[in-house]
Amino acid sequence: MSRVASWLGERLPISGAELRELTNEPVPNHLKRWWFALGGTPAYLFVVQIATGILLAVYYQPTPRTAYESVRYITDQAAYGWYLRSIHKWGATLMIAAVVLHQMRVFFTGAYRKPREINWFVGMLLLFTTLLTGFTGYSLVYEQLSYWGATVGSNIADQVPFVGKLAKEMLLGGAAYNDRTLSRFFVLHAAVLPAAIVALVATHIAIVRLQGVTEFRFRDEPEGKPATFQFFPDHLYTELIIGLILMVVLSALATALPAALGPKADPLATPEVIKPEWYFYVAFRWLKLFSGTVALLSMGFIVFVMFTWPFIDAWLRRTTRLEEVSVYVGIVGVFSIIGLTLWEAIAPH
Amino acid sequence: MAAEDRDERQPGVGRRSFLSRATSLLMAGGLTAGYGAFAAIAARYLYPARPDPKGWLFVTDVGGMKVGESLTFRTPGGALAAVARQRDTGAASDFVALSSNCPHLGCQVHWQAAENRFFCPCHGGAFDPSGKATAGPPFEAGQALPRYPLKIEKGLLFIEAPLDQTAGGAGLVG
Repeated sequence: MSRVASWLGERLPISGAELRELTNEPVPNHLKRWWFALGGTPAYLFVVQIATGILLAVYYQPTPRTAYESVRYITDQAAYGWYLRSIHKWGATLMIAAVVLHQMRVFFTGAYRKPREINWFVGMLLLFTTLLTGFTGYSLVYEQLSYWGATVGSNIADQVPFVGKLAKEMLLGGAAYNDRTLSRFFVLHAAVLPAAIVALVATHIAIVRLQGVTEFRFRDEPEGKPATFQFFPDHLYTELIIGLILMVVLSALATALPAALGPKADPLATPEVIKPEWYFYVAFRWLKLFSGTVALLSMGFIVFVMFTWPFIDAWLRRTTRLEEVSVYVGIVGVFSIIGLTLWEAIAPH
Repeated sequence: MAAEDRDERQPGVGRRSFLSRATSLLMAGGLTAGYGAFAAIAARYLYPARPDPKGWLFVTDVGGMKVGESLTFRTPGGALAAVARQRDTGAASDFVALSSNCPHLGCQVHWQAAENRFFCPCHGGAFDPSGKATAGPPFEAGQALPRYPLKIEKGLLFIEAPLDQTAGGAGLVG
């Protein structure tokens, strides 16, 4: 054993103590509270998505003539295919939910304030990259709803002034959905967007490590207690436990509510009731409430406000002298999102 | 030392720093041009090739269609067009060929005979028989169903549509 260790030590000149020193970091005590560990949850789920995604890609064939049949093969014939596909589907749902919850935690604790504006920006990019990955992934199934969802989605892009037409043509590989569209979605979903997520997550974590985690002290914490604990192994254990719980939850969801397969896409008939995945309900309801340009410009404005919120918040606090103004705005925002989502979920049209 | 560097009596130093700066610039220019050219090629490769060509396709015999009658035509790309005759002068303007693509976000409209309208299930857009929007987002935006160009040659009605084949053969439906 020691010979192996010394053989390795000669070639990789770093000791266990040095490695610990490099990766270890004092973690503020509030991270012992579970809702502060939400940032690690989407990262863990992302790894699950990569693993199941690679397995699904073994059988998936991204052309209009073969896509639906290959998904049916995965679901009905490949051993445990239904399980892996269901884990992938529920992993996406939980990943988006976790990203949104993490963002809400950051928002309501004001953790985006100076000097953390840049990381808020990176986080927003991660949110939209994650949503886009969900959108392109759902389109790959090539069932009725995913086909028409992709058509509507690309036409929304088309309405953006100046660059819209180019964006739509680049996304679809032509003026409309065609034979070459699915392979584009597949490349985006399985290569480009995951690579972007890896790069963004690395930046996100690097900035957290550079700045340190925001520090809180809760009222029920005794005075004089050390304000931090060790990342390694204490916080790592927390994350490992979260990972195990997530795996159990994913398996339970995949078994109890496996991913279904709707009717095959028919470019000639839009179904009577068309709905996107739940995380786009807000945008879909918004599109029904306003006409094209107004809906699009207002959505663009809301996204702009979300991205630049740290600066808007600083300006609002200066002018209104209300420390907690972001909390009120946040409560209105969260209830609007929940309200519009429920409305779309319940309304038949 | 810094003062000596700029001394004109030491031409070698001035030349050396000039050459060093020039090579740096050349290097940066070469890298930008090289990778820039690659990026431009990649972008052009990703941009879809030439727009799909269009052509004139036979629909029906003009004499066989009376005023008020309509039929559904499928283009080679799979899009549906509702062709109707509205007048009886013998000109191509007697006919309209409405696209079934909703101008709002591209869903397929379908004819609802009971309500005498085309209806889009995606966001509730509705259109009268002439294609004008009467409800929903397309109405608010003042849109109408797109029309295909039509022409008559030797008593036969032709429609101009994209020729790209993705959804089987073109022709009349039903």
